[in-house]
Amino acid sequence: MTPPAIQVRGVSKRFADHLAVRDLSLTVPQGTVYGLLGPNGAGKTTTIRMLLNIIAPDTGQISILGQPFDSSGITDRVGYLPEERGLYRKMQVRRVLRFLAELKGVDRRTADRRIGEWLDRLGLRTAEKDWGTAKIDELSRGMQQKVQFIGTVLHEPELVILDEPFSGLDPINTQALKDTVVGLRERGRTVVFSTHLMDSAERLCDHVCIIARGTKVVDGPIAEVRSAHGQHHVALGLDGAAPPAVSALLSDRTLVSEVDDSGRFFELQLAPGASAQQLLARLVEAGAPIRRFELVQPSLNQIFLQRVGAANLVDEVTVNA
Amino acid sequence: MRKFLAVFKREYLERVRSRWFVFATVFGPLLMVAIIFVPPLLGSRTKASADVNHVAILDATGTDIGRRIALELNGGVAGDTSATRVVTVAPGDLAAAESTATHDVVAQRLQGYFVLDSATTAGRSARYAGRNASSISDIEQLRAAVRQSVLAYRLETAGLDPDRVRSLTETRLSLDAERLNERGRGGSGTVSLIFGIVVALLLYMSIFLYGFTVMRGVQEEKQTRVAEMVLSSARADTLLAGKVLGIGAVGLTQMLAWALASVLLFRYREGIMAAAGLPAIPFQLPDIAVGMMLVLLLFFVLGFLLYATMFASVGAMVNSDQEAQQAAQPVTFLLIAAILFLQPVMQNPNSRLAEIVSWIPFTAPVIMPLRLTLTTVSTTELGLVLLGIALTVVASIWFAARIYRVGLLMYGKRPTLRELFRWLRYAG
Repeated sequence: MTPPAIQVRGVSKRFADHLAVRDLSLTVPQGTVYGLLGPNGAGKTTTIRMLLNIIAPDTGQISILGQPFDSSGITDRVGYLPEERGLYRKMQVRRVLRFLAELKGVDRRTADRRIGEWLDRLGLRTAEKDWGTAKIDELSRGMQQKVQFIGTVLHEPELVILDEPFSGLDPINTQALKDTVVGLRERGRTVVFSTHLMDSAERLCDHVCIIARGTKVVDGPIAEVRSAHGQHHVALGLDGAAPPAVSALLSDRTLVSEVDDSGRFFELQLAPGASAQQLLARLVEAGAPIRRFELVQPSLNQIFLQRVGAANLVDEVTVNA
Repeated sequence: MRKFLAVFKREYLERVRSRWFVFATVFGPLLMVAIIFVPPLLGSRTKASADVNHVAILDATGTDIGRRIALELNGGVAGDTSATRVVTVAPGDLAAAESTATHDVVAQRLQGYFVLDSATTAGRSARYAGRNASSISDIEQLRAAVRQSVLAYRLETAGLDPDRVRSLTETRLSLDAERLNERGRGGSGTVSLIFGIVVALLLYMSIFLYGFTVMRGVQEEKQTRVAEMVLSSARADTLLAGKVLGIGAVGLTQMLAWALASVLLFRYREGIMAAAGLPAIPFQLPDIAVGMMLVLLLFFVLGFLLYATMFASVGAMVNSDQEAQQAAQPVTFLLIAAILFLQPVMQNPNSRLAEIVSWIPFTAPVIMPLRLTLTTVSTTELGLVLLGIALTVVASIWFAARIYRVGLLMYGKRPTLRELFRWLRYAG
């Protein structure tokens, strides 16, 4: 059996005034797209930096592609796109890319060939203009991000780690990046990316791990995570705005424990002990103009809100205790 | 090693390719040309002005000293003294005569005037005031004339035969100063002084310039956030080493280019000077042995490493140019301190002060080479000083590697000293 792409066991990292990551364990199987989800300040970037041995964990073990994370040569098999983007401003695009490839041990000729291919693929070299000879300075932000992404994958890494790859991208580039991620998975690579955008995660990921306040809240294959949370979720669609009686019904906490209210569309979580039948009967009784009533698996967003909210609560309880 | 080379190569090539480097490398030898050709040019003017005899002599001595000076200034007994005006005045009228003479000087009818009084007769002093008072060679000639005349007068009044006195005092001796060390001849004193200052300033400038370049480089990587990307491929100390040595190699390249250019210029200077229409003036070169060159190079390398690593720490700590300027001040000050001590060390390279500043590792890279060219320093002393700098470099690298590793990823406010200590621990 192939070793997992990433295995993290009991890792903690403390900075001066706070614990950034607390006893974190997770496993990323090879060949998957893995989403590291969490609100801002959850410890995603710290975790990623530890995976790459940019900062050292205080405790715990990390293995990358079956080897200790600080063993020599391992970084050559990993590609990393940091959240904060930037490149040498005065340097020519090709030279920057050559340098990044050389750092990863790619020889000059192979690097030049791949740089050409990638520039073509991402539209940085066209019949009219070859941006490869331009200086980084002369590129638009979007183009710079593309160049940086090329730098991440030039050495054809087995494991690609992207920290908030979608931030600051326009819809076209977002789509291009998603396509590239899918393409990487098709070629058997493992992709780990962090995000707080649940939509992208839901569509792209095979596995997810939600962390909040440095602690893992939930992880696993996305289908499992959703079905584990799926017993009590109802999608409700109304024809027109909800009448007062319906609104009152939805805020009855013995029946509905949580509502994601989008006006005419609601995602509901049934209260413990309440059944969908019961809810439907009551809704009809209250004269709700129902268009849709369906037992659903919760969206990742829903799970995120629910679990991260709970985690915060638990956190406060432990602090008080 | 491969990663170090990648970083080294990038730093080196990107900088050597830059317009700034090409400019400085070409401009340096031009400066060298100036250094080589300006002294001979100046040298051709070290003869006194032709109208140095165009003066008034206010003689209140009641003797013939004034006339003697006039003769002396105009080439002896047979000379034409018409350009020199000797005015015999009574001591009481001296003030009035002086103001008339001043007027003449201002109106450019005279170069200047002498005032001779009883102190002159006694062999103590005479005064000269004139437009050429700051011209070293003019004053030298005037002084010689006065000395010669007073001496002759005093000898004659002591009863010696005037002809005898003349033949004895008629010596136009010039003093060529030559520096000696225990290996023998050390070349001309002035030349080695100029050479010493040039070396010290060159060391100061290049250490400062390239140290600062390292700081800007680190700062750029931090500000543009390239650092994190590079750090995911290479360790912080590899990156630091590649950067410092890469930039150091740029400095060495430039120095070698300059050295080569100056050797060629020196070798073919006569041809070049002839082509430029300058008279071929014998010009002394400092007698610098290859061993000395190597020692100087060692001082540059060590001094650069010391300051470059300190500047690198600064670069990793700060978030903006303004912060960098502030945070770099303590480091800059250490280097400027060396320059402040240039003057006293030059005047007395063997003083206790000179010794101490040439021992302190932070000033030694500039001061010690200066002392080396001016005086003799024992091999043991030299070795100890080099060792001291080397040890400080090791400490500075240790410190910088830690600050660098933590600092590169820390944004926000500049760290306080206490936070810095914590950084040192994190990286441990």
